[in-house]
Amino acid sequence: MTGGVAVRLSGVSKRFGATLAVEGIDLAVREGEFFTLLGASGCGKTTTLRLIAGFDLPSAGRVEIGGQDVTEAPAYRRPVHTVFQSYALFPHLSVAENVAFPLRLARVRAADRRLRVAAALDLVQMGGFADRRPSQLSGGQQQRVALARALVNEPRVLLLDEPLGALDLKLRKEMQAELKHMQKRLGITFVFVTHDQEEALAMSDRIALMHAGRIVQVDAPEALYNAPVSRYAAEFIGETNLLPATVAAAGAGHVVVAAAGQTLALPWSGPAPEAGQAATLAVRPECVLRGDEAAAAADEGLALEGRLEDVTFIGSDLRLTYDCGPAGPVVVRVQNRAGPGPEPGERLRLVLPRAALRLLAS
Amino acid sequence: MRRERREGLVTALMLAPSVVVLGVFVLMPLCVVFAYSFALRDAYGGVVPGFTLDNYRALFEGLYVQVFLNSFRLAALTTLLCLLVGYPVAYFIAFRAGRWGPALLVLMLVPFWINFLIRISAWVVLLGRNGLINAALVGTGLAGQPVGMLGTQGATLAGMVYAFLPLAVFPIYAALQPLDRRLIEAGADLGANPAQAFGRITLPLSLPGVLAAALFVFVPSMGVFAIPVLLGGGKSIILGNLIVQLFLEFRVIPVGAAVSVVMLVLAAIGIALYMRALARIEAWR
Repeated sequence: MTGGVAVRLSGVSKRFGATLAVEGIDLAVREGEFFTLLGASGCGKTTTLRLIAGFDLPSAGRVEIGGQDVTEAPAYRRPVHTVFQSYALFPHLSVAENVAFPLRLARVRAADRRLRVAAALDLVQMGGFADRRPSQLSGGQQQRVALARALVNEPRVLLLDEPLGALDLKLRKEMQAELKHMQKRLGITFVFVTHDQEEALAMSDRIALMHAGRIVQVDAPEALYNAPVSRYAAEFIGETNLLPATVAAAGAGHVVVAAAGQTLALPWSGPAPEAGQAATLAVRPECVLRGDEAAAAADEGLALEGRLEDVTFIGSDLRLTYDCGPAGPVVVRVQNRAGPGPEPGERLRLVLPRAALRLLAS
Repeated sequence: MRRERREGLVTALMLAPSVVVLGVFVLMPLCVVFAYSFALRDAYGGVVPGFTLDNYRALFEGLYVQVFLNSFRLAALTTLLCLLVGYPVAYFIAFRAGRWGPALLVLMLVPFWINFLIRISAWVVLLGRNGLINAALVGTGLAGQPVGMLGTQGATLAGMVYAFLPLAVFPIYAALQPLDRRLIEAGADLGANPAQAFGRITLPLSLPGVLAAALFVFVPSMGVFAIPVLLGGGKSIILGNLIVQLFLEFRVIPVGAAVSVVMLVLAAIGIALYMRALARIEAWR
């Protein structure tokens, strides 16, 4: 029944005094998966992680790890280890003693312990630092030691609470790649908490987007980005254009919407909306066609007339903001081709291609 | 004047009052005691300036060695008891008392507003034949007749722990209070049950406070004199009584001074050992 599920949360809620930190969380993290809890601060992602670790017990619901009910089990009886944002290395122990800590508690024999500590430190490339104190290490090095300590006795599930949050950008990118690589190689289930959507998209097999204590959407990174199911998901991940629309008719597997004086049939899998109901169309800035491209695809989407209001240079891309009258502003991203770019004031036709348009129920 | 020099001068001026007070009221009396310990004594108990080591030689006579041992034993027992009782109290205030913590600390200080001798006298009333405890014991029928508690070593120890307990609680609290709770969480996460987390994380990290507590209790315990006299009946002579008697009753001031100097040296050694241990612990962080 639990085949392949590493962590399962069923109807989990957590109340702190009068505030409900998370509510009705249902989640199934697969064995060997890199699973990310993504959301803005205060969305309940860290609370969810703490409920899995056992630092807090849920007010309602059930927590299972590896098919076993651990809802009431204290943290020290759960087969999970955590990498903390603050690293939480023991200041009175050396690097090697820190890593040996869980092995000592598990009564691993000294000779075996030494070998495994050395292997874990090598895994995170900290082999030469065994005798140092945590206070003698940089943040990135402490992070590696914390990782070695959490991995040394091969937990079923590794929980990571914004582990890269305190590192500078370049180091963070390096550690992202390394973590991902390590996870694939070791085959351990990772549950990773972050507020950084790029980090989540780059590392995860699946992402659970959280908002206000609830899960908004659980999907693979591509699906979450390309096919958000709600306005919140569309706006939280990446940049998105939202256009007001009205449902004109609903058929089997599709919905006809009216927007900007045109009608358009879009695929739709949810419960059929009623005609006349308000809806929102979402489209990513990099999917909008302009100029010649737009002319070639005029029939394949929603066409708008726009006046270029603003050009923002962001390195590899240019971000163009068009005023499209009643349809509102539309942001378009084009690649920076190093030549002279579009000038504010230009008027041209934009096409929002049908394949890139997502209908969001509102 | 250069800014750097001016700042130095300001610092010196600001320190001056404390330096003067310490010099006049602490250092000078110490020098006098030190000088007395090498002085001679006239027939009427007066101090005659001079230099002799006889006062120190006298300390090696059996009586004095026994007094040193008595004092050491009492101070060691007091320290041990204060740590055993004080640690849980400090732990509770730091970890479990929440917003009541500061209030509890202040409550621990309240008895200090009452004169030390009066507080110890209160214990005499409490432990006496017709005292509260005996009245309760006899009244409830737990004891047929009053239990003789006053004048025992137990009474002395009770009074000592009562007097010095706050000196143990405060430094241990100060070490526990800032302890990063996430470390204990991390310990639990890695498989440590509460007892293991305490033994492997909380206790070692609070050792500096425990050491300070031991020092704060041990050093004054060596010099105490009122408690063993009032509660213990003065049966075993300890250093504090000895010094008082040598100075005021027997009027062999030079020997009394020598005993004081030896105590001072012992205390200094204790403090030096503490500093070394602390430096070793601090090297961790």
